[in-house]
Amino acid sequence: MADSRIRRLLAFDRQVRRDQSQSPVFLHRRDRRFALDCQDRNETPTVDRWLAHLNRVGHMGGNDRSATVPDQALIKWRQLWAAFAFFGAILGVVSMAGLLYYEGGQRINLTLLLAFAALQSLLALITMVQSAVNRQPWRSLLRRFGPANQDPSSAPLKPLMPALMARIAHTGGVCFGLAGVATLLVLVVIQDLAFGWSTTLSTSAESYHRLLTVIAWPWQHLWQAAVPDLSLVEATRFFRTGPGTGQSDPELWGQWWPFVVMVWLVYVVAPRLAGLVLAQAQLHRRARRALANHPGMVALEYRMETPTVDTGNEHNDAADSPDEQAVAQCQTLPDSQILIAWAGADDPELPDSLSAGHLITESVGGQRSLADDEHTIERCAELLAKQNKPAVTLVTRAWEPPIAELEDFIQLARRDWPKKTRIALLPFTGDAAQLISPKQLGQWLRFVDRLDDDRLCVSQPDLRSPESLAYAQQPEGPS
Amino acid sequence: MAAPVFAVVGHPNKGKSSVVATLSQNDAIAIALEPGTTRQRQNYPLSVDGQVVYTLVDTPGFQRPRRVLEWLEAHSVSVSDRAETVKAFIAQFRDDTRFADECELLEPLTEGAGVIYVVDGSIPYSPQHEAEMTILRWTGRPSLALINSIGPDDYSDTWQRALGQFFQVVRCFDAVRAPFEQHLGLLKTFGQLEPEWEQPLNEATRFLSEQRQQRRQGAATLIANTLEGMMSFREKRTLTVQQISEISDQALANQLRDQWYKNQRKKEEHLRIAVERLYQHNRIQRQEAELVWHSEHDLFSERSRAAWGVDRRYLATAGFGAGAVSGAGIDALTLGHSLGTGALIGGLVGAAGSYFYGDRLSLPVLNTGILKDGLKTASFGPVQDSQFGYVVLGRAINHWWHISHRNHAGRELLDLAPANDHWLELLDRHNRRTIHQVFDRCRKKRSVDDKTRQSFVTAITAAMDAFDQWRLNQA
Repeated sequence: MADSRIRRLLAFDRQVRRDQSQSPVFLHRRDRRFALDCQDRNETPTVDRWLAHLNRVGHMGGNDRSATVPDQALIKWRQLWAAFAFFGAILGVVSMAGLLYYEGGQRINLTLLLAFAALQSLLALITMVQSAVNRQPWRSLLRRFGPANQDPSSAPLKPLMPALMARIAHTGGVCFGLAGVATLLVLVVIQDLAFGWSTTLSTSAESYHRLLTVIAWPWQHLWQAAVPDLSLVEATRFFRTGPGTGQSDPELWGQWWPFVVMVWLVYVVAPRLAGLVLAQAQLHRRARRALANHPGMVALEYRMETPTVDTGNEHNDAADSPDEQAVAQCQTLPDSQILIAWAGADDPELPDSLSAGHLITESVGGQRSLADDEHTIERCAELLAKQNKPAVTLVTRAWEPPIAELEDFIQLARRDWPKKTRIALLPFTGDAAQLISPKQLGQWLRFVDRLDDDRLCVSQPDLRSPESLAYAQQPEGPS
Repeated sequence: MAAPVFAVVGHPNKGKSSVVATLSQNDAIAIALEPGTTRQRQNYPLSVDGQVVYTLVDTPGFQRPRRVLEWLEAHSVSVSDRAETVKAFIAQFRDDTRFADECELLEPLTEGAGVIYVVDGSIPYSPQHEAEMTILRWTGRPSLALINSIGPDDYSDTWQRALGQFFQVVRCFDAVRAPFEQHLGLLKTFGQLEPEWEQPLNEATRFLSEQRQQRRQGAATLIANTLEGMMSFREKRTLTVQQISEISDQALANQLRDQWYKNQRKKEEHLRIAVERLYQHNRIQRQEAELVWHSEHDLFSERSRAAWGVDRRYLATAGFGAGAVSGAGIDALTLGHSLGTGALIGGLVGAAGSYFYGDRLSLPVLNTGILKDGLKTASFGPVQDSQFGYVVLGRAINHWWHISHRNHAGRELLDLAPANDHWLELLDRHNRRTIHQVFDRCRKKRSVDDKTRQSFVTAITAAMDAFDQWRLNQA
């Protein structure tokens, strides 16, 4: 039962089931790549090519047994097919031997032979109709014992089962018919068969001859000897209580065999052959349709036709996050003589609680030029040189990350200012009543850690005004 | 024509990486790196069938903008030589560690990249960043400013007015919360910066839209397959005579039930991971979130049933539809001689069954087989209550919705809050019937054919639409 379409369907189904463990993104990339390769070679990306491609690249130099071992489902169908063919042939021999049973004292009734051949034609026709209307005889039996069990590998064969069953039945029928013909010919050679015709119905030899002429119509021009003439019909009629065979030439009884051979070939073998061809065609058509409607096929076509979109998500630096622990701690704000606002930290104006008490207040960074920054450093240096405990408060915007420019400024100041000058970084939220978030504070503490300067610290004093503090501490009275 | 390149630049920690993470659908980009940590620029190309359509470049932030600007001004004679001066700066300071970040971020611009300048719209505008904006203007490249609000406050209006003086286009874009349509809108805006960029960016948005549709379909298929597997799942165990004598029926039932629950949870977990992978979310902290926030919303809790299950009326109508389809088979057999009575009776039986028995989260059936060849098989399941399917469906679609609406810049725990309404009411009758039919087939241990399976996937897709709609109404 070499059937490439069924094998293709099964191989495709097997591959689809194998693909279920793969990610959709990978499958898309793989199949789109195959489709593009086919396009480059001016080839149509057919299922056969796709399977061959996967087998080729999937082997990885090894031997993929699953690609070459025939499917279990197909093996079971083949076994069933062989069993039908074998038993059909046996039954053909037995049936013909039974029909031609002749012990020498009677005739073999042609009417019985014709009725049997008609029954065979009818059976062949029923099988064809069953297959055409998708009826499945023996379905429950097949499901329980045969190849149509619940094995997932046989699932794609489900829509093909009526045609598969019909093909097997017709194969059995063909074997039955051919074995019957062979048996007939053997018996013709080794025995002296006496054919006659008989019926209970009151019919004349002419009428019977007309019937036989109609029956023999298909081969009337092929084999004249197989078309009985009226004289033979008249001479070979017999009755059970009749005078016996003495009235006619005994040789005539044997002249019927060509007719019987042709009846058998045309009305038993030929319908089954036609059914077999039809079942084969149905099988091909249904296998093609099953493949086209296979859910995996729809998905495969979609994957082949749709471009793969790679959004650039391969890069992974999630593990590069820096250590967010800080060694430095907040320290008390020193009594500084100078207040410097970095990069617009004094916009809007700093609270009095912070700006009061300083000898000078300066702005650096941001919109100021680097030259302005240097002049400010020089001015501050002059003032700090006169102090016993020189200290500077450097106010920054709490939400802005400390950048290298600030680092440059501090290093430049360190070069000009007295060595003992304490510098307190004060990240300010812009609202004296609002506390800095731990995340914002963390980045400033880590900044101080990085600069590794013992006289540089981060301070977070309570900047609320005495009035607001008094208000905040006031107990709630009756309203 | 070379594919357009867009360098995402700005002050440190203003959301550049968030914007890149969302647009490149990459949740493995380190976000909020410590400022001052020197970083290399990183390319994120969007490619279609291996062909790059555009590239986003994530860059370090400006560290010494005033110093750079001072150098540029000192080396420029007229406006026409500014771009060349920027190139000269890079050539001179490429190996100087002080200007490593500036060189990294300016280099793609001198190679033809467009400028995407990112600011944080949740902090007040300040002219302090004008030095870096001026440097960017000096490059002479097409430029767009993005106001990405990181915090809760909104100062985007003042930012918009100020940025308009430096950049061709100014757009607001919340990298964490912006819906997918806004991602596409933003990409189209990138395309408007240069006439020859319009076509590739339009193409990119088309491909991304198609990809999103594919993902939706893929998620529906994954959910349908898992639902089918969970509804028909049976926990089986084969015992020897010795084992049978050692264990009571009750203990065996308990063991099987526990294993059954465990496997069902595993299947649900696999579905979640598969859906997340489909949407390229590989680092979602959902597991931890569930343990902390959702222990009471576990798959089998009564609260889950109350949240995700459907009411009796829903079950009755879906049951009527499913029963009517079965009953119609009788009408077909009698070639219509039963005048539709089969469908009517089938429908009524289906509705009554679903109404009276469907609302009970009954335990799956324990089946103990007969002793054969010294072995006995015991099985637990499939679940006999359709509500189970609706609970799994509701949870799965809720998870899908969160994943499909989650931007890759998001780093917060995934909060799978249960619904407080029967969102499935928005689903049309036909799709309700299909879902109910599949649930029925699974619990009756009948196989589902390919055609029904495809209809099931379609019904799940419709359910996803209904959930989307329901969420929209909720908002």
